Amino acid sequence: MDMEQQHTVADKLKVSPFLVFFLIHSMQVGIGVLGFQRIIALTAGYDAWISVIFAGLSIHLILWMMYKIAETVNGDMVSIHTYIYGNKVGKLLSLPFVLYFCLIAVTIMNGFIEVIQVWMFQDLSTFWFSVAFLGLAIYIIYGGFRTVTGIAFFGVILPLYLIFTFFFTFPYADFSNLLPIFDHPIKDLLKASKNMSLTYLGWETLLFYYPFIKDPAKSKKWAHGGVMFTTILYTLLTVTTFAYFSEGQLQKNVWATLTMWKIVQMPFVERFEYIGIANWNIVILPNVCIAIWCASRVLKRTINIKQKKGVILVSLVCLVGANLFKSRNQLNALFTLSGLIGFYLNYVYIPLLFVAVMIIKKVKNQ
Amino acid sequence: MLNWFTKKNTHSDVKGNLDSYLKRSKDYKQVYYENQKTNQRFCFSFLSSLIDESILEDHALPFLLDKPFEKLEDIKKIVSVADVQISNDPSLIEQKLFNGYVLMTMESDKKNFAFIAAQKEIVRSVTQPEVEFSVIGPKEAFVESLMQNVNLIRKRLPIKELIIEEFTVGSLSKTKVVTLHIDGIADPVNVETIKERIKGVQFDAITDSSYIVQMISDNKNTPFPQLLDTERPDRVTAILAEGKIAVLVDGSPHALIAPTTLVEFFSSFEDYFLNWILSSFFRLIRLFAVAFSILITPVYVATLSYHYELIPKDLMSTLITSRREIPLPPILEALFLELTIELLREAGARLPTKVGQTIGIVGGIVIGTASVEAGLTSNVLLIIVALAALASFTTPVYKMGNAIRLLRFPFLLFAELWGLIGIVFCFCILMTHLIRLTSLNRPFLEPLYPPRLADFKDALVRFPFSQQSQRPQILRSPNPVRFTPPEKKKKTDIDE
Repeated sequence: MDMEQQHTVADKLKVSPFLVFFLIHSMQVGIGVLGFQRIIALTAGYDAWISVIFAGLSIHLILWMMYKIAETVNGDMVSIHTYIYGNKVGKLLSLPFVLYFCLIAVTIMNGFIEVIQVWMFQDLSTFWFSVAFLGLAIYIIYGGFRTVTGIAFFGVILPLYLIFTFFFTFPYADFSNLLPIFDHPIKDLLKASKNMSLTYLGWETLLFYYPFIKDPAKSKKWAHGGVMFTTILYTLLTVTTFAYFSEGQLQKNVWATLTMWKIVQMPFVERFEYIGIANWNIVILPNVCIAIWCASRVLKRTINIKQKKGVILVSLVCLVGANLFKSRNQLNALFTLSGLIGFYLNYVYIPLLFVAVMIIKKVKNQ
Repeated sequence: MLNWFTKKNTHSDVKGNLDSYLKRSKDYKQVYYENQKTNQRFCFSFLSSLIDESILEDHALPFLLDKPFEKLEDIKKIVSVADVQISNDPSLIEQKLFNGYVLMTMESDKKNFAFIAAQKEIVRSVTQPEVEFSVIGPKEAFVESLMQNVNLIRKRLPIKELIIEEFTVGSLSKTKVVTLHIDGIADPVNVETIKERIKGVQFDAITDSSYIVQMISDNKNTPFPQLLDTERPDRVTAILAEGKIAVLVDGSPHALIAPTTLVEFFSSFEDYFLNWILSSFFRLIRLFAVAFSILITPVYVATLSYHYELIPKDLMSTLITSRREIPLPPILEALFLELTIELLREAGARLPTKVGQTIGIVGGIVIGTASVEAGLTSNVLLIIVALAALASFTTPVYKMGNAIRLLRFPFLLFAELWGLIGIVFCFCILMTHLIRLTSLNRPFLEPLYPPRLADFKDALVRFPFSQQSQRPQILRSPNPVRFTPPEKKKKTDIDE
C-alpha cells in the first residue's frame, strides 16, 4: 500500500470537521433550487412537498453508508475502488468520475449562464463568461482544498440573507393551496422524489474529499446537519412556492424561485431578482470549484497527473463542454443526463459499494 | 606615524586597507597624546561625526594624560567611561569605529586596541502620534532612534520574559533590526519564522521598516499589507501581551506587528480606550464605510448602464434629471471623477501641508462644481464619489486605506463589463484572494475564515475586557489564558 501512503494528506492541509456542513450544503444548493418546484409539482401536484422531505431523508441513509465505506477503507473513492477491485482495475474504474464531475460543473455553470441570459443579459457571451468563471475556479483550486472550503463556507454564509426575501411573498400566500394533503398515490410521490434528486445532488463529493477532513468521525453530525439544513430549506421553499402560485400558474414558471423575487419591494430596489441572480454567482461558485477539484483529484490519484495540470485540463474540458451545449434543448438534455447519472450513482452504485466493502471486510477479517 | 597600523601584525593588510579608505573622509581623525607621568604615547582614532567629543574630553583624556598606566588593560581602571573593550582582533575595528567607538592604540602595546564608547546620540524627542492619532490615551509615538523606541516598550513591559533580539540587515546600510516577543506567550514557531525571514533579507540599503515589511511578507503580489505597522508604543505593548511579535527597525518610527489578520486593519487602537459598545459601533461603521467606498461607484455604473429597472420610479426621476445632459456613459463619468479625486489626494499628499490644504479645497469645490455645471458629470455621482472618498479615509491604517482605494477600479471595470454580475464576480475574486493570503503562514482572513467563534470577541465588534480572558486562538499561544475570570456570582433576583 505504498501508493496510499503517498497520498496521505498533511495535517495542515486538512479542514475542521464542522466545515463539512458547508461543503455538503453548498454543493447541494446550486442551479436546481431556482426552478425545481414546477418539475416536482408536475408529477405529485401540490403534495410534492412530501417528496421533498422524503428525498431529503433518504440521503441520510446513503450518507451513513458512505461514512461506513470511507471509515473501513480510510480513504477516498479511488481507495475504495482499489480496495474492492485491486489497484489497476480500481483506478481504471475511477476514471469515469472525472467525466462525471466535468458534466456536473458544465451543467451547473451553463444553467447559471442560461439564467443570466434569460433574466438579465440576453447577449452575455457564454464563451467569455465561462472563461472568466473557470479562470476564477482555477485560481481558487490553486489555493488548495482549504481555499475551496473557504469558498464553500462563504457560498453558504453570504447569500443566507436571501432567505428573508421570501417573507415578502407571505402577504400574497394562500396556504390552503396545499390542501388536501395526500391527494396523490405513493407512486407519484416517489417519482417526484426521484425528480427531486438533481436538486439535492452533490453530497457524493464527500467520498472524494474525505481524506481532507480532520478527525472525520466528528464530521458525521455536521455532514448530516448540512443535508438536513438543505432539506429544511427546500421544504420551506416548496411550501412557500405552492402557497404563492396556483398549480396552473406554477406550470408556466420555469424559474419559480426567481419569479417569487419579483414581488420583493424596497424603497431603493425595484426588481430584486437582479440582485438575487447576481448573488447566485456566489452560490454557484463552490459547486463548480468542488466539482473541478474532485475531477482533478481523481486524475492525480489515478494516472498521477499533477493537480496543477489536472485542474487546467479539466477546466479546458469544461470550457469545451460549456460551449457545446448552449441551446435550451441541449441544456435540458444535459440536466436530465446529469440528474440520471447522479441518481443511479448515489442510490444504486453507492449501496452496491457499501455491500461489497462490508463483505470484503468480513472476508479479510477472517 | 600611521605606519603603526601597517607594520604591526599579521592582520596589517585589513587595517592598512581600512586606514587608507578612512583617511579619504574628512570626519576621520587621529590624534596623538603623551602621558605626562610615564611618557607613554598613545593615539585616538575616531569618526568625529559619530562621536561625542565632550565624552572624550571630560571622561577619558584627563585621566589618560595624568594618571600612570603601562598596559592597555590598565586604562579600564582609570577612565570613567563604562564601556571600554580591549581586543586584539583587527576585524572588529571597522564595526566599532562606525558604531561610535574611539579606537585607542599604544606605541608600546601594538597587539591590542581599546575601544572607548563615545556615541553621539542625535535623537528627536518623543512626539505625539500623527498617523494614528487618538483623542484619548497615551500621546507618545515612536521616533527614529532604535534604543529610544525599545525604551518606550521596555518601560511598559518591565518583565524578564520580554526578549529583544537584534539582527543586522542590508549589505551597505547595516541596519539594526530587533524583534520583540514575550517568551512563553508568543508562539515559538512564529518567532522562528520571523527571525528566519529577517535573516533572509537580501538588500543593500534598508532605510525604513516599510522595506522590511515588503521583504518578509508571505505574498508579495497583493495590494494588501500583511503586517500591521504602528507608531504607537502602547499598541505594540498590547499586541506583545496578546502573543504577537513586534519588529523595530533602526531609523524608522514605525514598528511592525506580525501575524495580523484583515479585521485588525480596521480596528483603531482607540477602540480599546472606549467603552465596548461605542467601539463596536465605530468598528461596524468603519466596515460599512469600506464596503460603501469600494462598491458604491461600481453599483452606480452597473445600474445606470444595465439595470435601470432596479431603481424605483421616484428615485429614477432624480437620476434622470441629473444625467439628462451628460454626454458621457456612466463608466467614463465615474472614471473621470474617481481619477480627479485620486489626483487631488496625490497632489495634496505630495505638497507641503498648507499648500496641500489649499489645493484640496480649490480642487474639491472648484473642479467639482465646474464639472457638474459644464455637464461633464452628474451631481448625484459627484455626491457618491465624494462620499466614497470620505468613507475610504475612515480606515485607521494608512497602508490598508491605500489598498482599499485601489480596489474600486477593478470593480468599476467589471461593473461596466457585466453589471451587477460583474460586481459579484469581482467580489468573488477578491474573496478568493483574501482567503489565500497568509500572514506568517497564518490565515489572513481569520476569524471569518477559518471561522473561529472565540476570536470574534475582538474582531468585527469588541467585547468587554472581562470577556477576553483568552488570547486569540490564531496565535496558538503556549499560554492561552490571559487571566482567570472571577467565579460568577450567583444571580440575584430583583430586590434581594
